[in-house]
Amino acid sequence: MSEIKGKLKSEIERLLREDIVDVVIAFRKEDSPLRPQPAFFRNTDELTNLEYNSLCQNNLANYLTRFPHDTRIGIVVRGCENRSVNALIVEKQHQRENLFLIGIPCHGIVDIKKIIKKTGEEVTEYSENQDEITVLVKGQKVTFPRKELLHDSCLRCVHPNPVDADVLLGDPLPEGDPSIARQAVKKIEAMDRDERYAWFQHETERCIRCYACREACPMCYCTECFVDHAAPRWVESDVSQGGMQAWHIIRAFHQTGRCTSCGACERACPMDIKLTYLTEKLNDDIREVYQFEAGMDRETQPPFASFNLDDKKRFVI
Amino acid sequence: MTYILKKKKINQVLKGWFKNYDVYAPQKVEDYSQFFRLTSADDLVLNEPHNTRFPPKALFLPQSESLLKYDRKINQLKEAIPTPKPRIIFGIRPCDAYAVTLLDTVFNTEEYSDPYWKTRRDATIIIGLGCSEPCQTCFCTTTGQGPFNPEGLDALMTELEDSYSIETFTEKGEKLFSDLLLASESQQRKAQEIQKKAVESMTPAFDTTNLKHNLDQIFDSDYWATISESCLGCGVCTFLCPTCFCFDIVDEVQRNERVRNWDTCMFRIYSQEASGHNPRPTRKERTRQRIMHKYSYWIDHIGEIGCTGCGRCVRFCPVGLDIRAMLRAANTFESETINA
Amino acid sequence: METRPKIVLFQCQWCLFSEPDQHWVDHELPPSIHLVKLPCTGRINPLHILNAIQGGTDGIMISGCRPEKCHYKEGNLSALRQHDEFLNFLDYIGYEKERVRFAWLDLQDRGRIQRELADFEMAVAKLGKAKILATRAHAPIGGEHV
Repeated sequence: MSEIKGKLKSEIERLLREDIVDVVIAFRKEDSPLRPQPAFFRNTDELTNLEYNSLCQNNLANYLTRFPHDTRIGIVVRGCENRSVNALIVEKQHQRENLFLIGIPCHGIVDIKKIIKKTGEEVTEYSENQDEITVLVKGQKVTFPRKELLHDSCLRCVHPNPVDADVLLGDPLPEGDPSIARQAVKKIEAMDRDERYAWFQHETERCIRCYACREACPMCYCTECFVDHAAPRWVESDVSQGGMQAWHIIRAFHQTGRCTSCGACERACPMDIKLTYLTEKLNDDIREVYQFEAGMDRETQPPFASFNLDDKKRFVI
Repeated sequence: MTYILKKKKINQVLKGWFKNYDVYAPQKVEDYSQFFRLTSADDLVLNEPHNTRFPPKALFLPQSESLLKYDRKINQLKEAIPTPKPRIIFGIRPCDAYAVTLLDTVFNTEEYSDPYWKTRRDATIIIGLGCSEPCQTCFCTTTGQGPFNPEGLDALMTELEDSYSIETFTEKGEKLFSDLLLASESQQRKAQEIQKKAVESMTPAFDTTNLKHNLDQIFDSDYWATISESCLGCGVCTFLCPTCFCFDIVDEVQRNERVRNWDTCMFRIYSQEASGHNPRPTRKERTRQRIMHKYSYWIDHIGEIGCTGCGRCVRFCPVGLDIRAMLRAANTFESETINA
Repeated sequence: METRPKIVLFQCQWCLFSEPDQHWVDHELPPSIHLVKLPCTGRINPLHILNAIQGGTDGIMISGCRPEKCHYKEGNLSALRQHDEFLNFLDYIGYEKERVRFAWLDLQDRGRIQRELADFEMAVAKLGKAKILATRAHAPIGGEHV
């Protein structure tokens, strides 16, 4: 890990020194060892704070839509992030020519909520290698196998390798088995109808409409979200059952064919709602029916952006 | 007066209260706790090492509440002012209780009283649970309070070995516990030791002596552009904050109802005007607003910092932004540019 | 069911080619069926369907022109994929997808819309009242968060 960080630092230094980019989006250390922050480096002397480890839990592609298209941006991308960048390019939200993708094959993001559940929040130190995570809690060192702490989305990851990076730091990792991506969906589909609705109710009733999921998602970039429409008001604005259900159903649905299963939404949620169990169902259906996965290349339009007269074979009575 | 409540007697005391009061206390939801109305004493959760995730301000200012309902067919309007049963909030942390007193300066003053807030406030007795082991993310001593601060409380509990020592401050609190045994000298001393130790374990998170002045000075600087860059602009910090009170009033026409919801200055549409102009058009202005409001404008309004150091914004920010670090940087920013 | 199931009919304004059929839909629709007329089925958004469901409808029928016969050339195709997946998604969270039916009408059809509606009403009556997602509930008075 620290080897990757060293390579990353040199690469970012090179990009800034040779004026290849205007800004590099990566991560930086913060006071708490568990919370590295997304950071925007414009000078090489800012790089003393650079951080890269498995706690870097945000999807950096989210920040691309904030910059004008002519800004030259370097960005650290792991597997899902690279696909998010591609998905944004397909939707014309940025231009590939002005992006420099620093690809890092990903061993998975560690879910801080899982650490906290096991050790409490008073973690003062964190270290990791490929197989193990070690934390210092109240003077005691505790070690866990990496697999125990990985975020659920990463446990189901099929594409850990950046598909379109300009430079690759680290060796490519084996692709995941596509059938593991179905795990979350299979679990819910195994329940009967009433249980499924009860599960959905149970998850959505905790929602506080903070929209952290929306803001953390790189594909949610609409300047006016459907929940903000006031005339007509399609979705109730309050924390009523109807409002929350509509919010979750439609937000997940708007990601169909665009979601790269990064899990940033679930990690951002302060109420621990299992959002990926909704988006994964849609991803799975799109994989099956249209053989499409978001962001695998920069040209293919997502299924909902196109249509075909062949569709009628499936729909017409 | 200070009383002793043995832990194994809590259920009994609660059952006694159920007869005349609605009791709200922390209960487990998934992996965290939240204030709900207790229906069974077994659901009580008092041993969490930190405050509830969702702030108890919701017990006075619910996230969504009905203001009035109307029937267009018969042209009738009905206000929906609540008439709550007398109620007890049990196990609230001093940071959250102090926050309620801060919100009183908004919703419950001589010149203006919000009826929806007032009926709930008047009907409530607040029993606090002090924090014997403050978390790394807590900074209540920095904002001027502390882990056993009595402000806003009718009584305060300190956890001892197998009991709680309960100090009552008001008549309301006294009435609830006067049947219990008084705490002995040694028990009271033990409680005071625990309280002292807790306060001493906390180090100042940032310097408040010139904070407001420093913030006002750098209002127009590019300090705000740098610290707000990674901010997502979601509502987590504002919704989980026990002192944030901004709200939006909405007509839910499909339900024939007018509703008040929490709102957040972090959303673009919060300050969007009907003309199309937005006085806080970018992330920078909005993040600046939040910090200025809490640490400068509140002081302009009532002379106090509007933050109680509960630490929720630090713990739950999706990108790990830490307001303590931001304020430390703000304190030193001016001097850096002068020296540059 | 004692009362007739509530049905919302999203009707494309072009799909009923016979005057008597259109007249029936405009003026003689049973009161349990609510008409929403649109320029094309392509205009329908999953939000509209969800809104109808949350309003308490037991079934939704969408009537439009056959794929090659759209007045706007490809309007009805553009939304087909979305609707198909949306219904799968609703089924996943427990809402029976049989409650939403598409009727693709042809130039020569006469009296078909009445037959489709009658057939659909029977099918929905068998499913019973929609138990879930019909949640246009009032906000809580007095403080419980949900």
